[in-house]
Amino acid sequence: MNRKSNSSTARVSRRAVAAGLGAAGILAGTSPFNILRAQGAALKVGSLLPRSGFQAGIGQDCQRGVDITNGILKELGYRELQIMNADTESNVDNARAQAEKLISEGAQLLMGAFDSGQSTAIAQVAEQKGIPYVINIAAAPPITEQGYKFVFRNFPIAPVILGDAFVNQKEIFAATGSAPKTVAFLHVNDTFGTAMKNGIGGIMPKHNMPFTIAETISYDPAARDLSVEVAKAKATGAEALLVVSRLNDAILLTRELVKQRWSPMAILSMGPGWYEDQYLKTLGKLSDGPLSFVPWYDPNKKVAKMLEAALAKASPGVNMNTNHVYTFEALLVAADAYKRAGSTDPKALADAIRTTNIIDNVSPGPGIMFNEKGQNDKLKNSAIQNRDGKLVTVAPKEAANAKVEWPLKPYDKR
Amino acid sequence: MIAALFEGVLRHGLALLVVLFAALLAAPYIVNSYLLAILIIILYYAYVGQAWNIMMGFAGQLSLGHALYVGLGAYTAAALFVKFGLSPWIGMLAAIPVAMTAGAIIGFLAFRFRVGGVYFAILTIAFAEFARVGFDHFTWVGGSSGFFLPVANYTTSDLWTLRGRPVMFYYLILTMVVIAFVLCRILLRSRIGTFWLAIREDEEAARAIGIDTFRYKMYAVVLSAGMTSLAGVFFAFYYNNLFPEQVFNIARSIELILAPIIGGIGTLFGPILGAFLLTGLSETMHAILQGLGVDVPGAKQVFYGLCLLFVVMALPDGVWPWVARKLGLGGRKP
Repeated sequence: MNRKSNSSTARVSRRAVAAGLGAAGILAGTSPFNILRAQGAALKVGSLLPRSGFQAGIGQDCQRGVDITNGILKELGYRELQIMNADTESNVDNARAQAEKLISEGAQLLMGAFDSGQSTAIAQVAEQKGIPYVINIAAAPPITEQGYKFVFRNFPIAPVILGDAFVNQKEIFAATGSAPKTVAFLHVNDTFGTAMKNGIGGIMPKHNMPFTIAETISYDPAARDLSVEVAKAKATGAEALLVVSRLNDAILLTRELVKQRWSPMAILSMGPGWYEDQYLKTLGKLSDGPLSFVPWYDPNKKVAKMLEAALAKASPGVNMNTNHVYTFEALLVAADAYKRAGSTDPKALADAIRTTNIIDNVSPGPGIMFNEKGQNDKLKNSAIQNRDGKLVTVAPKEAANAKVEWPLKPYDKR
Repeated sequence: MIAALFEGVLRHGLALLVVLFAALLAAPYIVNSYLLAILIIILYYAYVGQAWNIMMGFAGQLSLGHALYVGLGAYTAAALFVKFGLSPWIGMLAAIPVAMTAGAIIGFLAFRFRVGGVYFAILTIAFAEFARVGFDHFTWVGGSSGFFLPVANYTTSDLWTLRGRPVMFYYLILTMVVIAFVLCRILLRSRIGTFWLAIREDEEAARAIGIDTFRYKMYAVVLSAGMTSLAGVFFAFYYNNLFPEQVFNIARSIELILAPIIGGIGTLFGPILGAFLLTGLSETMHAILQGLGVDVPGAKQVFYGLCLLFVVMALPDGVWPWVARKLGLGGRKP
């Protein structure tokens, strides 16, 4: 076999040249059709999410956003995307390997991966291969500070999330004409909680807040009883609670507040837990009232309503949240870039993403657009409040769909 | 010297070793970038497994906190690079003594006060956890927000700064595996190796025949810690980001020791075979499930767990002794 092919390359006959020219002619003649076909084919998007491992719950929630995207894209006049799912297993090693795998299987754009470490690992592969990568959720600033050409992020960075939280708190205080003078700061002492505590310590003084922190109380994420912590917070005489929690401890804290008959003026949450579906379902009426300051969505936007309807149909009983919104928007960026680039060429796609200007989007702010670093720095965060098992947006005013209920309704009067 | 290294190795064993080495050398020219990434992971776990094997496989001291040394190596070299522009090779020279000192402290506390077995294992976990919490608050290297090494799109590879393409990292980790393998072979055939094996088999008896068990166990811990720290340097410069929660996590420590456990504790080829089997099995599962159109998150891990269960139950000494027997290479644990 090899010998035959070797001889044919060694001695090129006139017949072979003619056949070759003929074949070249046929190829040249049909190549415009090939280009058309390439344009007609769906864009292959590699979706990298932590669907197993310790971040599985969040990864699977993000996947809900992926699953409802194509229907909405179609309604918005975009081409459907060919989604290639990969599981990072909540692991940085696997995130990198899966990114390589998706690219080797033909992914033309990558999306994911919820976590900053995993996203950094994927970003390196994407940059090396020249494949555009749109980050759905990851807040560590350095990812878009590396001078990457193919990496884009439509999610606020950590200092912006914290800064906006204080801005929204002040807006609420101004709207209600009332503000706490002191707060007790309760935070979980895991990586996230510690980072938030440090961030709050650094950013809060710049915002000239009307309250001071009476006491900072940390607790273990695996704590089964938070009675001491709540008693300690209550004893400070603080008017409100500032909290950085996870789901389990948010439920424990609420139960303790009820047991210890303490209804602070407000519960201001700077993280997850207090607005999660499980919190609402577990606590029923007792879940009403806490305010969470998070990257959210503008419920007044048309596409937000479409996304909400699609999610309600696909996953009844699941409230739309950050995971769905920003995963959808990352895919929206991909579909929009493909539409404008008219090609799956990675460079053309990256160039198209760079000039993204999507006004019909879901997240608060003017829309999706990227600065020279590939970061959407126009994103705004929201203040949301639990109300009758649902979540309403109360700040900023331009992205709100309800007025804040202030102060917190006492637990014994519900 | 080289002849002494291969002394006692059967001819067909040597041939297999040469074929394996040649295949690994040629791999970057044959496999695609995905498989290259997988091979890098395999070799990484083979190397760390080999380093851990010195402590557990040779000297019989169970460490469940080896992520500590990976993390210390990673943070030391990365900090020197980012803050002072020092090459990771110089970083390695700093990382090794840092990890060795940590190993020496743990070893001293444990062996001086006769803490052994599972209690020693708990001590190693405790130190890894201390480090995790400590680095969470160590803002000079990013604290819990993570420490990032600057990266760019590299078209060439710079071995001095370890900034470059995956193929450079592949050959680097392959070299590390080969050196670790050779070093372990030399150690096993030396006096110190014999003492370690004696301690592993029966510490009281070893002490009774005059072996300074405290000293030799300390050698094992310190050497293992130093070697593991080099894996940390590799990890930092390959992945370019470090989060205490990920680097020092107990789950990371468990991952590091699975390869030698599956491959065969105390054997030279165990960690290498174990790493190939574990990662290979994992990727094969993934491919099979993908081929069947099954997209259930975690399904791979369930199959993976069942296969591990089978290996542990059917081959309690690990896979390598069984393979070695089948290949006529002996296969007895040293």
